[in-house]
Amino acid sequence: MKDLKTGAKLHPAAQMYATEHADGKLSRREFLTRTTALGVSAAAAYGLIGLPAPAQAQEAKVGGKIRVAMEVKGTKDPRLADWPQIANVYRGWLEYLIQYNNDGTFEGRLLESWEVNEDATQYTLKVRPGVTWNNGEPFTADDVVRNFARWTDGNVEGNAMASRFPGLVDEATKTLRDGAVVKVDDMTVQLNLTAPDIAVVPNLADYPAAVVHSSFKDGEDPATNPIGTGPYVPQEVSVGQKAVLVRAPNHTWWGGTAPLDEIHYIDFGTDPAAMVALFSSDEVDANYESVGEFIDILDGMGLVKEEVVTASTIVVRMNSSSDLYKDKAVRSAIQLAVDPKVVLELGYNNLGATGENHHMFPIHPEYPELPKQTINPAGLMPALEAAGLKDAEFEVISLDDGWEAATTAAVQAQLKDAGMNIKHTVMPGSTFWNDWQKYPFSSTTWNHRPLAVQNMSLAYTSTGSWNETSMANPEFDALMTQALAIADADKRRELAAKMGTILQEEGYIINPFSRSLFSHHKEGFAGLGHHPSFEHHHYKWSVA
Amino acid sequence: MGLFVLRRLGVMLLTALALTFVVFYLTNLQPNLEKLARTEGSVRMTDEAVQAWIEQNGHSGSVFARYGQWLGVVPGWTYTDEKGDTRGRCFAIGQDPATAPRFCGLFQGNWGFSTFFKKPVAASLGEKLAATGWLMLAVMLVMVPTSLFLGVLSGMREGSVIDRTLSTFSIASTATPEYVSGVILVALLATAATGISPILADYGLLEPNKTLFLASATSAMDDITFWNFTLPVMTIALYGIGYIARMTRASMTEVMTQQYIRTARLKGVPFRTVVMRHALRNALIAPFTVIMLQFPWLLNGVVIVESLFNYKGFGWTLVQAASNNDIPLLLACSVVAVVVVLLTQLISDIGYVFLNPRIRLA
Repeated sequence: MKDLKTGAKLHPAAQMYATEHADGKLSRREFLTRTTALGVSAAAAYGLIGLPAPAQAQEAKVGGKIRVAMEVKGTKDPRLADWPQIANVYRGWLEYLIQYNNDGTFEGRLLESWEVNEDATQYTLKVRPGVTWNNGEPFTADDVVRNFARWTDGNVEGNAMASRFPGLVDEATKTLRDGAVVKVDDMTVQLNLTAPDIAVVPNLADYPAAVVHSSFKDGEDPATNPIGTGPYVPQEVSVGQKAVLVRAPNHTWWGGTAPLDEIHYIDFGTDPAAMVALFSSDEVDANYESVGEFIDILDGMGLVKEEVVTASTIVVRMNSSSDLYKDKAVRSAIQLAVDPKVVLELGYNNLGATGENHHMFPIHPEYPELPKQTINPAGLMPALEAAGLKDAEFEVISLDDGWEAATTAAVQAQLKDAGMNIKHTVMPGSTFWNDWQKYPFSSTTWNHRPLAVQNMSLAYTSTGSWNETSMANPEFDALMTQALAIADADKRRELAAKMGTILQEEGYIINPFSRSLFSHHKEGFAGLGHHPSFEHHHYKWSVA
Repeated sequence: MGLFVLRRLGVMLLTALALTFVVFYLTNLQPNLEKLARTEGSVRMTDEAVQAWIEQNGHSGSVFARYGQWLGVVPGWTYTDEKGDTRGRCFAIGQDPATAPRFCGLFQGNWGFSTFFKKPVAASLGEKLAATGWLMLAVMLVMVPTSLFLGVLSGMREGSVIDRTLSTFSIASTATPEYVSGVILVALLATAATGISPILADYGLLEPNKTLFLASATSAMDDITFWNFTLPVMTIALYGIGYIARMTRASMTEVMTQQYIRTARLKGVPFRTVVMRHALRNALIAPFTVIMLQFPWLLNGVVIVESLFNYKGFGWTLVQAASNNDIPLLLACSVVAVVVVLLTQLISDIGYVFLNPRIRLA
């Protein structure tokens, strides 16, 4: 591995995790997620538990091209990117400081390594030497500092990174605080946070955090002037049609030679049935995602299936700003009338694991074991009667297609069976997302995030920017503030257990399952492992 | 004649002006602007951010003033943010505003910037119109000769077996909308699991493709082949064939009852010559208008077929522009529609004079 750390000091908690792993308290995946988030390189982490780091299978063959069926959305300023598909195109030439791999580890890309102090208030980032932009300029600490200033700019509407680094922002100006990000020398940057923050590393790896060149103008389309550090450049980006990435000319990529010559993204729309026809008529080599019953069909066509177990999930949530759901007893009764097992089977073909109505899953390092909830459909009507809602008309809203609709329909059917007068309304994506936070009762898909507290702080704190339930529980908020200061997942787990209990008791969400994600590709390609956040790591792809 | 053409062009301009204003007004309703803000900014923006986005990107103020900007009679908007960076209608991000023109609308030859395609409207729409042009050309080449032949054949002898058979076919094909015939054709001819493709594949007739035709016309954008283009063309043509054949038949049967036909027959002219020399030219006047009317109709018909077969032409563009509320693109699409409708009608009126000397253009 290229990022083997020599002579750097090991985070004290890493050794502790290794012991826990040896005692069987930690799974390998959890161990890797936690230690690499502390700045231990993947190779060193594997070394701590006495395993060899997985070597890249043989030297990958150089050459060839791949055609991937994926929606081609317009590329936009990375910090505004709102879909992984957008990032998968600019990933060809824009790289990240840190990368989240599909085995749960964090790997330094433009950073060679990083260190975190004990209470997670100071991060020391070491820039990888030898990285150049494809215009020949070297990549230095100045680039890192400049990108932090871009990310923390809260005055830009839709800046997805702005809320990610609260400890670096000056609240008055909503921009980077003086002294928050300090260039120590050409290769070292120090982050000084006002409050502990354990999500810095996962946030730097998320898809809007692509690192752009100094010539990039705010709000510009990155494809118009594609200066980046990555191995490819865009030859063509035609929205709704195709995007073609080709090897960057006259550019020595720091990572060596990326195997494929060309990567073609072709937009065939989103109909999963079309994918079957496309594979059978040899129009594509790989797809973006395989869903529902099409997984079996594609398996049957002799394609290679890639699977990853994630914390991607669906939340069928109530919003207490609606009079129907302002009563906690009503919400709880509705939550407990739905059996997650049935929803998983009907809504997602059993292609996942049941959830526990608290938006945390075993893949998360701080996942707590809570007592099982008792499913009780018989309790629903008495609760509704007590609240005077016996004859009220309820409505649950979802997207109009695929498993989102099926899952929501399964929830609705169970509530109906329990005696509730509820109907299911579907909306196309173009209108659904306009008001997604405001519906009284609707389903929302949530992407995988490496730490459980990341989703929970976005969705369920009273100030969370994606709070779709109107939940405002002071105790939960206080616990979350504490939890976000604890880098040690074991200590955080105690708080996570309390927060999980509050979430279950508040009854806002029905969180029936977490999904396994799948994609398919033809035989003859390697390195296309599906990623929990749909990231495409082009340099790993090759023709076998 | 010259005056007539001029008057028609005047009507065309006025219609385009009125229609674009209606489209502009509808796309600039508040909910549509919010939708635009969310697709352009970020899906997950707050309501305040959406309002700010709308104001800072030239979508606030009087709707007439904004329409004027599009026309190029009102100076383009500019906005300077808190960092001192200026953006505006008439210049790209990063360009010096001082060098930009004040006006940049239709009158200056600027069709605007498509927010969906992230390209100038003129360039992206031109490309799409070319794609649809190929589709329409192929459809016309199949549809016009087939339908005229069928119409004339069945209109020659009203009530004969040929007439009844062909009429049944015409009525059936024109009564089947594209979204039905398209799906039937795909199921029948273009899947490896059903229809006739698996049967032919069993005989080894379909190597290396597994299907007779391709159910997606996306690859026809680069390279039109018999394999990928047949189904979309057939789907549109089938509907038109029935329609034009019925019109031709009606016109033909009427001509065949005329006295000059009877006279010719009584003089002993062979039936074949009567049809070819006396009846055909007169019978083709009505179908000519219908065929010219097919052009604007095709422009609508392609919306369904292009979406069904994933062919990225004008129809698909219209759908994308509408669902993403891409204002300049929708306006340009309406102008194209007006021009196509009125231009084909002009050609049809002029052509009529040549086919029928009794009619004169004032």
